[in-house]
Amino acid sequence: MLIVALLRCTDLRAEVDPLTGAVSRDPRTASLSAADAAALEHALRIADTWGGRVLALTAGGPEADGPLREALALGAEVRRVPLHSSYIEELAVDERSLAKLVVSALGENRPDLVLCADRSADRGTGALPAFVAHELGVVQAPGLVALQVEGDQLVAERRLDFGRRERMRVPLPAVCSVEGAGVRLRRASLPASLAAANATIPLVDVALPASPVRVVQARPTRPRPRHLPAPTGTSRERLLALTGALLSHEPPTVVGPVGAAEAADALLDFLVRHGYLSEARTGWAVP
Amino acid sequence: MGAGPAGAAAALTAARAGASVVLLERGPFPGSKNVYGGVVYGRVLDEVLPRWWEEVPVQRWVTRRSTMVLTETQALTVDFRTVAWGEAPYNGCTTFRSDFDSWLAGKAVEAGAQLVTSTVATGLIREGGTVVGVRTDRPDGDLRAKVVIAADGVNSFLAKELGLLPSTDAAHLTLGVKEVLSLPREVIDERFGVRGDEGVDVEILGCTRGIPGGGFVYTNKETVSVGVVVSLEHLTAAKVRPEELIADLKAHPAIAPWVRGAEVKEYAAHLIPEGGYDHFPTLHADGLLVAGDAAGMCLAAGIWLEGVNFAIGSGLAAGRAAAAAAQTGADLASYRKDLESTFVLQDHKRLRKAPGLVLSPRVQGQYPGLIADLVEGMFTVTNPTPKPGVVRLLRAAANKHGVKLRHLAVDALAGGRTFR
Ligand SMILES: Cc1cc2nc3c(=O)[nH]c(=O)nc-3n(C[C@H](O)[C@H](O)[C@H](O)COP(=O)(O)OP(=O)(O)OC[C@H]3O[C@@H](n4cnc5c(N)ncnc54)[C@H](O)[C@@H]3O)c2cc1C
Repeated sequence: MLIVALLRCTDLRAEVDPLTGAVSRDPRTASLSAADAAALEHALRIADTWGGRVLALTAGGPEADGPLREALALGAEVRRVPLHSSYIEELAVDERSLAKLVVSALGENRPDLVLCADRSADRGTGALPAFVAHELGVVQAPGLVALQVEGDQLVAERRLDFGRRERMRVPLPAVCSVEGAGVRLRRASLPASLAAANATIPLVDVALPASPVRVVQARPTRPRPRHLPAPTGTSRERLLALTGALLSHEPPTVVGPVGAAEAADALLDFLVRHGYLSEARTGWAVP
Repeated sequence: MGAGPAGAAAALTAARAGASVVLLERGPFPGSKNVYGGVVYGRVLDEVLPRWWEEVPVQRWVTRRSTMVLTETQALTVDFRTVAWGEAPYNGCTTFRSDFDSWLAGKAVEAGAQLVTSTVATGLIREGGTVVGVRTDRPDGDLRAKVVIAADGVNSFLAKELGLLPSTDAAHLTLGVKEVLSLPREVIDERFGVRGDEGVDVEILGCTRGIPGGGFVYTNKETVSVGVVVSLEHLTAAKVRPEELIADLKAHPAIAPWVRGAEVKEYAAHLIPEGGYDHFPTLHADGLLVAGDAAGMCLAAGIWLEGVNFAIGSGLAAGRAAAAAAQTGADLASYRKDLESTFVLQDHKRLRKAPGLVLSPRVQGQYPGLIADLVEGMFTVTNPTPKPGVVRLLRAAANKHGVKLRHLAVDALAGGRTFR
């Protein structure tokens, strides 16, 4: 069984120039987002249970090698499709050709399961998993907050609106994209980290397929300047307006100590009373 | 243990000597967690990395060094600049620790050391009093080694575990805090009177509300570091927040024009060992060497704040001693002898009285005002009253600040002895 963890390694604390919108990324702080880390952990857990092998695959520059070595130390095989580009160039890559690229990098190795983050931390369209599923011709389960093996079944849980959850069985082969929730990436042992410390990451040289999307221009987003009228009134009046200091307002209410159900009712009641929630939408009866 | 300057330097010499070396760092990459003011004096690298200046990740080469004495409303500056410091082999450079430490650790890796990051050394493994390895926070995390070098910085838990350092030692620690302020490059060039790669190092006395310590301003390419270093005990007693001291400094009429309109990019704080020569711990134990700030080797003597070069110097020596011990069973005591033959212990020994003198109440609390008043008196044109003589001015200033001329003589003598 082959489980592919499709990872994106990027600087999670990139700097954005407030004036020009230019993004500068530090390759040394490239790492997996919580969702990417969760995808890898799920891959390792499922492989542990079903006796499969895990391939951690990423398309990116050499900054991805650090996180890939960590995956190597955790027992995964690793590959990198070299892709060097600036943040803007990356944004301009259309997800469909990226999906084609990673699938062609897999070659003959058709995966039984592909795990990836629901959306990348820095691009964030969330479209890649669907395109990968399409390229592989397999089903897709997006937005998962839990994923586990139950017997010979893979059972996933998805977050729906209004706090509801959906539980579903995922038939293989499939692409599952997960949120950074529920699991934490295990730490590699010291001997494995030492063994992986200087490992060379194998590269798969496949070219980015031509994209049907034509990029006309790519530049940092720069919010349009907005005309803000000069404030009126004295500074005291403005402070009062901002803080609402002298307005009458409902004093803080302490309810309790009460049980969890009663506390939840009290909170919902408050929200409904103040117009944040309508009774009809919650579907809960408010006493 | 620790990929700061001391650990990286130790790993470099030990790996070059053919030893098998692991360099453990708790941060995600070397330097990621490290804090300092801003200037590295790199000549210590001459022997191990010839022409280091061609590749060190420099922000600016310090070609101008000012020493400032401040009172609330006055400033006296002694300003020195030289073209020589802007040419190879240079003197000091401003550099970011994330860049510098990564670069130096990279040199150790090139020499054959294995760098493992995101790994915390949690304790020592001992057998019958001998250190035979370290414990780490990774699964299966024990690492056995013939020699462990504790280069884990100030407040070293490893040195404490062996009882080489006292468990608390506030009296010999200072707290350094700094802000990194962002300004366009041209603005920095213009305000500090430099161009190209030239940079400025300003050391300041009298800017800490009487709390023993000092301040600094360093220029990077597009940022300026402003900070203070103050006695931990006195700071606590004064009930002052350290950021208030930086705010004071930034608002001072002599400093404000430099940093006007700048945006705070970063705020950081870190301890500094300031005990000097008289408070070094024992530098080795069976199977263990202590280097850099872990051994209190930062030279923090008022207008000197040199820790990185001393950390590198002691690290290089520790690496040599460790490799010799691992390969030939040589005695680790050779480490101290080696250090005594280099600038590391010689400078510390020579300047052993400097921290005490520079941090003394008179130098900190009374002399800045006295000197500033004296100079103000000399340059204030009091016509139609004739100019007062310097001796009269000195007496008046000394009186105003409660300094007896006898004290001046005593301190001048002590200064002469300390810095001879
Ligand atoms: C505000 C301030 C300003 C300063 N200004 C200057 C200056 O301008 N010039 C100068 O030369 N010096 C300056 N210094 C002093 C200088 O920073 C230190 O002397 C120097 O960093 C000491 O180097 P080191 O390698 O001994 O320790 P550190 O630089 O502290 O490195 C220790 C390393 O060990 C790692 N570590 C710690 N514990 C563990 C553990 N348990 N497991 C694994 N890794 C661990 C840390 O992450 C770190 O990388 C300044 C210090 C401060 C605080």
